[in-house]
Amino acid sequence: MATTLIRRAMSMTSRVSSSTVAPALRLVVTRPYASEAEAEKGDAATTNMKTFQIYRWNPDNPSKPQLQDYKIDLKECGPMVLDALIKIKNEIDPSLTFRRSCREGICGSCAMNINGCNGLACLTKIESGSSETTITPLPHMFVIKDLVVDMTNFYNQYKSIEPWLKRKNPPPTAGKEIPQSKKDRAKLDGMYECILCACCSTSCPSYWWNPESYLGPAALLHANRWISDSRDEYTKERLEAINDEFKLYRCHTILNCARACPKGLNPGKQITHIKQLQLLGSA
Amino acid sequence: MAAVRGALLKHLRVNATPLARNPNPTSHGLFALTFNAIRRRFCDEVKGSFLDKSEVTDRVISVVKNFQKVDPSKVNPNAHFQNDLGLDSLDTVEVVMALEEEFGFEIPDNEADKISTINLAVEFIASHPQAK
Amino acid sequence: MGASKGQKLSGLQKQVLSLYRGFLRAARSKPCEDRCQIESIVSAEFRRNSKQVDRKNFFYIEYLLRRGKKQLDQLKSPDTMGLSSLNVSSSQKQNAKT
Repeated sequence: MATTLIRRAMSMTSRVSSSTVAPALRLVVTRPYASEAEAEKGDAATTNMKTFQIYRWNPDNPSKPQLQDYKIDLKECGPMVLDALIKIKNEIDPSLTFRRSCREGICGSCAMNINGCNGLACLTKIESGSSETTITPLPHMFVIKDLVVDMTNFYNQYKSIEPWLKRKNPPPTAGKEIPQSKKDRAKLDGMYECILCACCSTSCPSYWWNPESYLGPAALLHANRWISDSRDEYTKERLEAINDEFKLYRCHTILNCARACPKGLNPGKQITHIKQLQLLGSA
Repeated sequence: MAAVRGALLKHLRVNATPLARNPNPTSHGLFALTFNAIRRRFCDEVKGSFLDKSEVTDRVISVVKNFQKVDPSKVNPNAHFQNDLGLDSLDTVEVVMALEEEFGFEIPDNEADKISTINLAVEFIASHPQAK
Repeated sequence: MGASKGQKLSGLQKQVLSLYRGFLRAARSKPCEDRCQIESIVSAEFRRNSKQVDRKNFFYIEYLLRRGKKQLDQLKSPDTMGLSSLNVSSSQKQNAKT
């Protein structure tokens, strides 16, 4: 309650300052820089206004979701979509809600749909040009608020493939790590990089239609990561566990996953690898 | 099917003379609690059989009468929870839950949704071998 | 939502009632005092929503159902002792507290 009050107070002052107080203040600050002083005069050539259409829905105010327009000056904004979102939240509308953390593509928090493509806001450049940029939550996910979606099902699917090293025998040297050859380690390339941002799974039409029963590209990529791990001794059981019409075989190699992945991975290829092993196992 | 059940009932029915009911059930909160532990223990012996319908009726009526929002004078075996007793669907859920506790078994959702009168409740419970 | 009089229940209504049942069942597993508190909070929340929420606002009701299911999962955990609710500027919010 306290925080909401403070936020509201902040938004009011910022609104006041932007309309009346700010120009004078800004002039003082920007006077030393000739080029920016020009921008203050409103020269069209030196400001670069861009409109962001952002999906808004607030559960506390139950009405239909809508797209809200925000205009910001790209000259005063960092290059990435996340910079624009943070600028909007800081300066225009503190109620805008989205997840973000590392701002360098390693945490996977800011996954969203930008101009129709899933991606991380922190790794997606703002498109230059005057056209609007539309930002919506990850498709076919339940919205909690604005751009924040419910990841419960996604995480549960990840959990279901048991993403940890499972052994039947003790390690070669008791109490020590289990060694792995460089060649075996290389087999994990293209999988260990996954940050579970859900861009791939939520871009997959097959996942849209069967979000509960089909594991989706992200979970299957991780399944293959453990199946391919030379140290893991439950390969057979892992293959058995996902050998299912729905869990695995709803992948129809549409390959939207590979297009969407902000880390440049190819989950479709890893799923094909699982399917090949299934064939070898049953032959 | 009904005939078979009837025949079964005849043989399985236990002559459980209703125990003297605690005249002043203490709980008047949201849920009437089970009347006493003695009854439970007694009924454990006849697990897997059916309860006597008149006994079930008495106990159901008593649970409903103890429900906070119900006017006890309106309760009769034919009463409809919503039409006659003025309960809404959430109250009905609470009543059915109180019946679950009274008879010591869980009523599945799809069955519970159908129980809208005292008679239906009695019928369901009397035909349920786990009710005790 | 909750106040239908003897009509046939819709699928959504059945889900709401089933969630309510779930909460009351979960409450049974808690100590007596907590149980009474959980029951009164849960019952107040359902009743409040049954009066305030437009019965045709499916979008919102489905959202509340999902939120409720998550809260129920939290409540079911044996580590969860009880529920508490706090008032956020006239709109009541319900928090599962561990």
